Amino acid sequence: MHQIVQAIILGVLIGGVYALMASGLTLVFGIMKVINVAQGALVILAAYLSYWLFSHLGIDPFLSILVVAPAMFVLGVAVQLVFVRSLRGPDASELSLLVTWALALGIEGVLSVFFKTTFRSTLPSYADRSWDVLGYNVGFVRVLAFGTSAVLLILLSLLLTRTRFGRAVRATVQNPTAATLLGVDANRVQTLSFGLGVSMAAAAGAVYGVIYPFNPGSHYDLISRLLSIVVLGGLGSLGGAVVAALAMGVIEAIVAVEISPIWASFSFFVVLITFLLVRPQGIFGLRERTL
Amino acid sequence: MTRNVVRLAALAGGGALLAAALTVSGSAATKAGPLKIGISLSLSGDFSDSGKAAQRGYKLWANVVNAKGGVLGRKVQLIVQDDTSSPTQAATNYQNFITKDKVDLVFGPFSTLLSAPSAAVANRYGYAFIEPAGGGPAVFKEKLHNVFFTQPAPVLQSADVFAKFLLSLPKSQRPKTAAYPSLDDPFASPIADRVRSLLEKAGVKTTYKTIYPSETTDMGPIIQKVAAGHPDAVIGGTQNNDAFAQVKAMVQQKFSPKFVFLTNGPNDPAEFPSKVGAKNVNGIFATGDWFPEAKSPGNAAFVAAYHKAYGAGAIDPTSAEAYAAGQVVQDVAAKTHSVDNKKVIATLHTGSWPTVEGVLRWNSIGEPQGSDLLVEWINGKLYPVYPSNVALHKPVVPKPAWGG
Amino acid sequence: MSRSAAVGVLRGGAFAAAGIAFPFVVHAAWIVNIGVLTLMYAALATAWNLFSGYSGYISLGQAAFFGLGAYTLGITFAHVGIGSGYNPFYALPLVGAGVALASLPVAWIALRTRHMTFAIVTLTLLFVTQQLAFNLHSITHGSSGLMLPTPSFDIADYDRPFYLAMFALLLLGLGACWLVLRSKLGLMLLAIREDEEKARGLGIRVTTAKLIAWWLSVAVSAMVGGVWAYYLTFIYPESAVDPLVMIGAVLMTFLGGRGTLWGPAIGAFLLVPVQQYMLTRLGASQLYLVGYAAVFMVVLLVLPRGIVPSLRDWIDRVRERQRTRRGPIVREEAHA
Repeated sequence: MHQIVQAIILGVLIGGVYALMASGLTLVFGIMKVINVAQGALVILAAYLSYWLFSHLGIDPFLSILVVAPAMFVLGVAVQLVFVRSLRGPDASELSLLVTWALALGIEGVLSVFFKTTFRSTLPSYADRSWDVLGYNVGFVRVLAFGTSAVLLILLSLLLTRTRFGRAVRATVQNPTAATLLGVDANRVQTLSFGLGVSMAAAAGAVYGVIYPFNPGSHYDLISRLLSIVVLGGLGSLGGAVVAALAMGVIEAIVAVEISPIWASFSFFVVLITFLLVRPQGIFGLRERTL
Repeated sequence: MTRNVVRLAALAGGGALLAAALTVSGSAATKAGPLKIGISLSLSGDFSDSGKAAQRGYKLWANVVNAKGGVLGRKVQLIVQDDTSSPTQAATNYQNFITKDKVDLVFGPFSTLLSAPSAAVANRYGYAFIEPAGGGPAVFKEKLHNVFFTQPAPVLQSADVFAKFLLSLPKSQRPKTAAYPSLDDPFASPIADRVRSLLEKAGVKTTYKTIYPSETTDMGPIIQKVAAGHPDAVIGGTQNNDAFAQVKAMVQQKFSPKFVFLTNGPNDPAEFPSKVGAKNVNGIFATGDWFPEAKSPGNAAFVAAYHKAYGAGAIDPTSAEAYAAGQVVQDVAAKTHSVDNKKVIATLHTGSWPTVEGVLRWNSIGEPQGSDLLVEWINGKLYPVYPSNVALHKPVVPKPAWGG
Repeated sequence: MSRSAAVGVLRGGAFAAAGIAFPFVVHAAWIVNIGVLTLMYAALATAWNLFSGYSGYISLGQAAFFGLGAYTLGITFAHVGIGSGYNPFYALPLVGAGVALASLPVAWIALRTRHMTFAIVTLTLLFVTQQLAFNLHSITHGSSGLMLPTPSFDIADYDRPFYLAMFALLLLGLGACWLVLRSKLGLMLLAIREDEEKARGLGIRVTTAKLIAWWLSVAVSAMVGGVWAYYLTFIYPESAVDPLVMIGAVLMTFLGGRGTLWGPAIGAFLLVPVQQYMLTRLGASQLYLVGYAAVFMVVLLVLPRGIVPSLRDWIDRVRERQRTRRGPIVREEAHA
C-alpha cells in the first residue's frame, strides 16, 4: 500500500508536467485542426536552451522559463507563418502531420550537431533535495515542477476565459465561420495560438530538463506520450488533456512498482486503445466533424 | 621565330612533365598505391558521439603510422563513410567498400548492433573484420572466423572481474546478499546477469532483480524496492545516465550498501562526479577496458599523441579501442610482410598481440581471452584496483557512507 | 479488355521484364545492393499508398508491420528452423497474411476514429510494437537483437535472390493497386477519400472497404520486412521498427504522387539512389538528418501533389494547347 501511494504521488507530480506539454498540443488542434508532431522536439529544444542558459550563464532553470518561453513563442509564430499556414486545401490537416514531423526531424538533426547525442540534464544545486512527508519521499524539484506547470496551466485557462483574445480563440474553436463573421481575425488567432502552444512546450521543456536527462532523440518517446494524452483526453480539450496526463502519470508509476518498469508505458497504450473502443472521441472530446 | 621557340619550349616542357608523370605513376604502381581501409562509422544519429570518438582513434593511428612511412611502405588511406547509425546502411557501406572501392582491409563500426550485420558482409567476401566496438553476444553468436574484437574481454564477460574480486575477499568481508537493478540494453543487463549467476553459485543470495527500459528516468521507485531488501551489494548493469540516476536515488533515499558496482557510468571520470556530486563517488566500483594511466603497450605514446592532436580533454575509450585495431594490423604486417586478408585472419588466430588495450588473444570466433579492469573511486579519483597485476591502488571495502 | 487496360498490362509487362533482367545483366554486388534497397522502399511506399493514398487516412504505423514481418520471420527461423536457402521466401506469404490478419482488430478500433485520431493511434501502434520487441525477451531476445541464419547463396550473385524477392513484392503491391483502382473497391475508397459521410449515406460498406485495403497494405509491408530481415541477418527493436524507414516511404509516396499507381515507386527510384549518393558525398557533414528533413519539407510545401499528378497536368495542358491551336471552335469548347 505504501508503495502504491508513493507511486501515485510521483505519478501526479510528473503528470502535471506532461499536462503542460499536452496543453499546447491540444490548444493548437482545437483552433486549427493541426497536430504539431514537433511538440516533443520543441520541448527538447527548450530543455537544451534552458540547459545552455544554466550551464553558461548560471540562470536558474525555472527562472529561465521567462527567457525561453518568449523566445520560443517567436519561433512558434515563425513556424506557423512559414510552414503551417501555407498548407491549404482539404488535406491540410493531414499534411500538417507530416510537415511538423519533418520539422521534428530537422530540430533533432540540428540539436545533435550542436549538443551531440550524449544525455544532458540541468542540475541546479537543489536537484537532490527531498522531503519526507508522512513517510513518503517527495523530491523538491518534482514539487517545483508540478507547481510551475499548475500555475502556467491556470494562467493559460485564465487567458482563454477572461480575455478578449481568449474569447476569440474559443469562438474559433467552436465555429470558425461564425467567428470570422463576428469580426475575429482567424489568421491572427491561429498564428498567436500556435506561438502560445509552442511557448507552453518551452516552459515544460525547461522543467523537463531538470527532472529527466534528455538527448536530441528523446522527442520520439515524448511525442508518443503526448499524442496518446491528447487523444485520450479528447482532441482539442484542455481539461481532457490535464485529466489524461495525470492518469498516465499515475498508471505508469503504479505499473512500474507493482508489475515491472518495462511494462509501464505499454500499459498506458493499452488503456488508450481500450478506452477508444468504448469512446472513440476520448474523455471530453466531441465527435470530430468531417473536415 | 620567337613564337616558334616558345612553342618548342612549351612542347619540351610538356613532354618532360608527361615523362615525369609516367615515372611517378610507374613507381606508385610497384608499391601498389596506398593501403585503403574502409570503415563505416556513425557520424550522425544515435551512435554519433561514439562513432566520432572511434573516428578520432582511427585517424590518429593512420597519422602516426603514416608519419613513420605507412604499413609495408604504403600510406594508410582511411575511407570513412557515415552509416547514420543504421545497420542497413552499415552493411551497405561495407558492401560498397569491398565490391566498389575494392579496399585492402576493413575495420569495424561502432556498436554491436551495427557490427553484427557488417561482420557477416565482410565474412562473405573473405575479409578480416577487426572491430573495436562490437563485443556483444550477437557478433560472436554468428561464430565467424574473421572477427577480431580489439578489447580485453567480450562485453558480456566484462564484469566477471568484479565477481572474481568479491570471491577473492576473505569470507567475512564478502557480501551475503545482493540486488541487481539493470537497464534493458545489450550492454547492460546481460552483464549483470552473468555476475549474478557467478555470485549465486558462490552462495550470495539475490534479494531483488529487475530490468528497466531505457526511457526510465525515475529511479526512485526502483531503488526503493532495492533498499527494501537491505542487500549488502547493489550490482547494476547500467549505461551512463541510469547509473547516475541510481546513485542519486540511493543518496536521496539515504541507502548506502556496502558494495556498489555499476558496469558503466562510474567509469566516466569526467561526468560521474559532476552528475552525482564529487562527495558521493567514493567506494563505487565499475569496469573498463581502457584507462589513460594504463600501462598497456604503447599507451603512453597514444595518450600523448591524442592530446597533441585533439587537445587536453578526456579521451573516450572508444578512441583507444579503434587505435588498437590499427596497431593489430601494423603488427601483422610487420610479422608476415603481408596485409592479405586470408593471411591476416590465419595469423591473428595464433599468438598474442600487444595494443593499448592490453595484450590481446582471440579464440576461433574472435572473442578476446583477457579480462577487463576493475576500477574504484578512492578519495575522489578513479583507480584500477583489480586484477592486482594492473592495479594502481589497493581496493577499499566496504564503501564509506554517502558524503564520506 | 479495354484499350487502357491493355496499355496498362503492356506497361507493367515491360517494367517487370526490365526489372527481372537487371540483376542478370549487372553483376556488381554494390549496384544490386542499392537495387535491393530501392525496391524495398518502392514496395513499402506502394503498400503505404495502397491504404493511405487511396483512402485518405494517413497511417503513421507502417514501420510497425514492417517490423512485425521481420520479427515473425526471424522468430520462425529461431524456433522452427526453415533452412537458409530459398525456403524463407516461400514462408513469406504466410508471414504477410498472418501479420495482416492479426492487425485487423486493432485497425478496426483505429478506424472507428476519424482521420487525425487514426493517424495518432497508428503512430502509437508503432511504439507499442517496438516495446513488445524489447519486452518479449524470450522470443525476440529484446534489445540484444535477433540473429537469423546466414543465407547460403553463392557469393557471385549473392544479392540477386533478395533483389528478385523485393521486386516480386513491388509487383505484387503494384498489381494490387492496379486491381483495386479498376474495381469497385477502388471506387469505394475514392468515395471515402472525397466524403466519407456521403459514401456511408450512399450505402457503401465503408469499414469493409477500408479494412480490405488495410489488409493488403499491411501484408505487403510485413513481407518486405521479412525479406529485409533475412537480407541483413540481424534485427533489433530500433532497427526493425524504425520511424525513419516509414517516414522515408511516405516521403517517396508524396514525391511521386499519392493516390497514383506509379508515383510511390517513382519516388523511391529517384530518392534512394540520390540518398545513397548524398551519403557518399556529404557523409562526414553530420547534416544527414537535417538534409532529410529539408527535402521532406520542400516536397510537402512545393510539390504536395507529387511528380506524377503534376506531370500529368502539364501533359494535359500541353495537349490542350496543341489542340487549341488547331482552330477557334475547339478553344470555345475548351472554355465551355
